[in-house]
Amino acid sequence: MFDFAIAYIDPGSGSLIIQVAIATAVAIPIFLRAQIGRFIAMVRNRRPGAPPVSEPVNEPPKPD
Amino acid sequence: MTAPTRDPDLPGSADAVRDPGSFRDPGGFVYRRDGRLYRQVGPLAIDDWQRFVASGLADRLIAAGRLIGHVEVGLEAAASPDARAVISPEEIPFISYPYEWTFHELQDAALLTLDIQAEALRDGWSLRDASAYNIQFRDGRPILIDSLSFEPYEAGRPWVAYRQFCEQFLAPLALMASRDVRLARLLRADPDGVPLDLAKRLLPWRSRLNFGLLAHIHLHANAQRQHAAADDDGKAATSARLDRRRLEALVANLRSTTAGLRWNPGSTEWSDYAANTSYSERATAHKLALVAELSGRVPGDSAIDLGANTGRYSRIVADSGKRVLAFDIDPAAADANYVALRTEGRGDILPLVLDLANPSPGAGWESEERRPLLARARADLVIALALVHHLAISRNVPFELLTELFARLGPWTIVEFVPKEDPMVRRLLATRRDVFPAYDIDHFRAAVEARFAIEAETAIEDSPRTLFLLRRRSAPGG
Repeated sequence: MFDFAIAYIDPGSGSLIIQVAIATAVAIPIFLRAQIGRFIAMVRNRRPGAPPVSEPVNEPPKPD
Repeated sequence: MTAPTRDPDLPGSADAVRDPGSFRDPGGFVYRRDGRLYRQVGPLAIDDWQRFVASGLADRLIAAGRLIGHVEVGLEAAASPDARAVISPEEIPFISYPYEWTFHELQDAALLTLDIQAEALRDGWSLRDASAYNIQFRDGRPILIDSLSFEPYEAGRPWVAYRQFCEQFLAPLALMASRDVRLARLLRADPDGVPLDLAKRLLPWRSRLNFGLLAHIHLHANAQRQHAAADDDGKAATSARLDRRRLEALVANLRSTTAGLRWNPGSTEWSDYAANTSYSERATAHKLALVAELSGRVPGDSAIDLGANTGRYSRIVADSGKRVLAFDIDPAAADANYVALRTEGRGDILPLVLDLANPSPGAGWESEERRPLLARARADLVIALALVHHLAISRNVPFELLTELFARLGPWTIVEFVPKEDPMVRRLLATRRDVFPAYDIDHFRAAVEARFAIEAETAIEDSPRTLFLLRRRSAPGG
């Protein structure tokens, strides 16, 4: 539970609930796109002889 | 009550004049002292404010011209004893309101709000309001003027200003784009924005085919109605959780929905006017040269162009070193002007929509929260070109009232008199009885001389029109 009493504008009950529903709906394609992208990258990296799509492996390791 | 409120009981506030539009946010308020603008931060907002200023986000937004700059001043400048910090924000030369903006001005203000929210979220902050009145135009671009709008992002918490954004930006823009651009006037009727149930009723059915409008307006309005009747003390709402990724996706979707709204003005009464006047090339060249010469003779750095159309003459006046407010009654002409200026990267002209016969009134609490246009608009020079006949004939405004208005707005005026033999006036009189026996240059001159000294009077070559440069004799009522 959040203390919306500290907000000085009324977020509105219906607005909060629909906001969560809409945000979930619009986040799904973004999530799926990221997952598919990750999957494709993984498959390409595993294919023998195929150039990796992520960073080249011979690049010197970056310091943290 | 016309003057801003003074509170003589507060220590140190004898000369602090609180802004009548600054009372909604309990975190702090805006006031003026000795002509300087201040904002004090109270106990409720001080922790967030200090963290925000130290966060780096504030500096970045200010440097990018997205957030108004400020200087911290000492508590001795406070207006009341509970002040915890006092800042002096940078001043905006002219405060305009959303109902005076063109379509693309409102759209750019909305996009700025969302871009700031997206950047804030990345840094662990969130906008705690999304009021269109928090955006102003400076140097041709929108800027957030409420430095106290930021609160730390709390994990899982939905955006508190989502509803406000939809009511103050998305609903009016959707109505302007898909129903009628004149529905911007709804913002004048309701300072809190367009109620979503009203927007839903006014939008065309096809707006449901736009996912963003379906979700943020139609379904949003339905949810508001359903939950207004729910009897759970708001428990369902306050337990609603939204992780940051979904919140960012929501803001991104609001952005693409807002940016995707298009308004095609087509041909309105005035937007083709510049290409469609009765002027010959020679007359136009002479008028341009005259306006340049006369405005160069006027001291000062500000001008108001009444009836600016797409801003041809506003540019001439701005070239003489004056910042110009370019008003026009036609939302299409003013919007074309804004879009052209934005493309040119020119910030010295601000186009705004104004019906001079019905300027924005005071609005909000005690009609003082939003000030009337005529209380805000002042300039060194007033330009009224190809305007007098429209007001005097189409709107039946006597010359005396017109010159009174010019005198009220500023000490200098450049005005064009268009006589009855001009084709444009003949067109105005074609369908109505001529009840204007006194509409001639002698009566105009007499009305002008009651308020002004005529510094120059020049006939425009190859045209029946005359251009005047006027200098005010005394302040109105003085």
